Amino acid sequence: MRRSEIRKQLRIRARNIIVQRDRRFFVNIEKKDLKRAIRRLMQMKNYTHLSTITALDVGSMIEVIYHVAFTDALVSVKVQTSKDEPIIPSIVDLIPGVALYEREIHDLFGVEFEGNPDLSPLLLPDGWPEGVYPLRKWWSVDRVLSKLGGKR
Amino acid sequence: MTFEIPFGPQHPALEEPINFMFEIEEERVVNVKPRLGYVHRGIEKIAENRNYQQLVYLSERICGICSFAHASCYSQVVEELLDLKIPERAKFIRTIVAEMERIQNHYLWLGLTAKEMGFETLFMYAWRDRETIIEMLDMISGKRVNYGMSTIGGVRRDITEPMIKRMEESLNHLEARAEYYTKVCTKDPSILKRTVGIGILRPREARALCAVGPTARASGIPRDVRADEPYAAYGEIPFKVVTYRGCDVASRMYVRIDEIKESIKIIRYALKNMPEGPIRVKAPMRVPEGEAISRVEAPRGENLHFLKSNGTDKPERWKIRAPTLANLLSLCRMLMGVNLADIPVVIAGIDPCIACAERIALIDAKTKRLKVWEGKDLWRYANEWYRKRYGL
Repeated sequence: MRRSEIRKQLRIRARNIIVQRDRRFFVNIEKKDLKRAIRRLMQMKNYTHLSTITALDVGSMIEVIYHVAFTDALVSVKVQTSKDEPIIPSIVDLIPGVALYEREIHDLFGVEFEGNPDLSPLLLPDGWPEGVYPLRKWWSVDRVLSKLGGKR
Repeated sequence: MTFEIPFGPQHPALEEPINFMFEIEEERVVNVKPRLGYVHRGIEKIAENRNYQQLVYLSERICGICSFAHASCYSQVVEELLDLKIPERAKFIRTIVAEMERIQNHYLWLGLTAKEMGFETLFMYAWRDRETIIEMLDMISGKRVNYGMSTIGGVRRDITEPMIKRMEESLNHLEARAEYYTKVCTKDPSILKRTVGIGILRPREARALCAVGPTARASGIPRDVRADEPYAAYGEIPFKVVTYRGCDVASRMYVRIDEIKESIKIIRYALKNMPEGPIRVKAPMRVPEGEAISRVEAPRGENLHFLKSNGTDKPERWKIRAPTLANLLSLCRMLMGVNLADIPVVIAGIDPCIACAERIALIDAKTKRLKVWEGKDLWRYANEWYRKRYGL
């Protein structure tokens, strides 16, 4: 796969596409364009599946990365959302297979996926305190422990 | 009448024990809900407080069965960030150990699935043969599980001439056994009755649900990271991606047995063409800032590690996606409409090792009466049901 192909398909500026190495592409897009971008990537030939969704804490924002797999490349689509209002459109209607990945990120980062019908806890236990998102940087291990009553 | 049956969650053979809530009508499953997290160990959080060398050990303990797949996937991602070129010989050794692990895993799976079917002789046979490959892994690495072979910059131990000789003998034995299992699994009427047409996953569904590994390949989708994105020495070794079109448990079984044969060929080729030279290069403690993704075909499917570094000796974020999570939704799809008696075999089909599933509670939806079953009871129920019905 080539950079120009992704650019043509997604109709975005070339500087938003980073070629990390052979077979690795990172694409920065706006939150509102996410669904359109994923749909357009799915239409490309050689598309196989969506590998997973990664979320990271980048200061005041949460970055969500969609790893879209092709037989000849891995395109990682990046979107950012603010921590105050972490809402991202769900793509579960496009790819039903992402349901669990979205639930996982909802658990660990507190990101709301608008349109996902089931965001019940997947990994965290029942009775987990509200507002504690263990993979956000502010929640250090000590803070989580003290919130849970100091017991492991 | 609809029954709700919680199944699990005690499930120690899998890295994430699962609880399934089944809704049963008559004896058909009409709805399934999975619930994870009973041993969520927070490895991704722990990783933020450990340095890169310590994480090699942690990565190996993500999963007991595909430990090498995780360790090599993690090593690859750090090597990419360090821009480290590992020696050719190390690449071949990684390929050999990865394929040995695949053989080990598939024999384990075959045994467990046979046990779920109540075919205990095959269970004993498969596990006896698994012992052969475990002894070889023990000979190379010094350990039977969690081999500690992969490290950042290469591998820890070399494969010597006498080892190759011993390995060739056991590979011949394993190949003959794999042929025998093909014969058993395609001819034996009780296996065919329990697996053919059970737990269907159509190719369209497998694509939509992002299935990976043998689960996808048994639905006719040639999805294999080794072929799509060759890592280690896979680019230099000819091999075939095994696919079957049956979409059922039988196909998942044939894919795995054929993969054992394919793995044996890969190991033979790699042993013969392994270049001489060093097996590792020194890696620095600090990793420059950056992001990298590495994918590996673990025995159960695609394994993905994402790593973001911040220039220190500890990672900023390490994301792991193990294949079972990717196959879970496909499993729920397979379970829809299956008979209560087929649940164990279908769950075993994606390879999450159900053998240790603990207890089952049957709730009568009308009276809310709770019947508690143990995993044993479901297993006994399933085998009795088939015995009565088909005399197996």
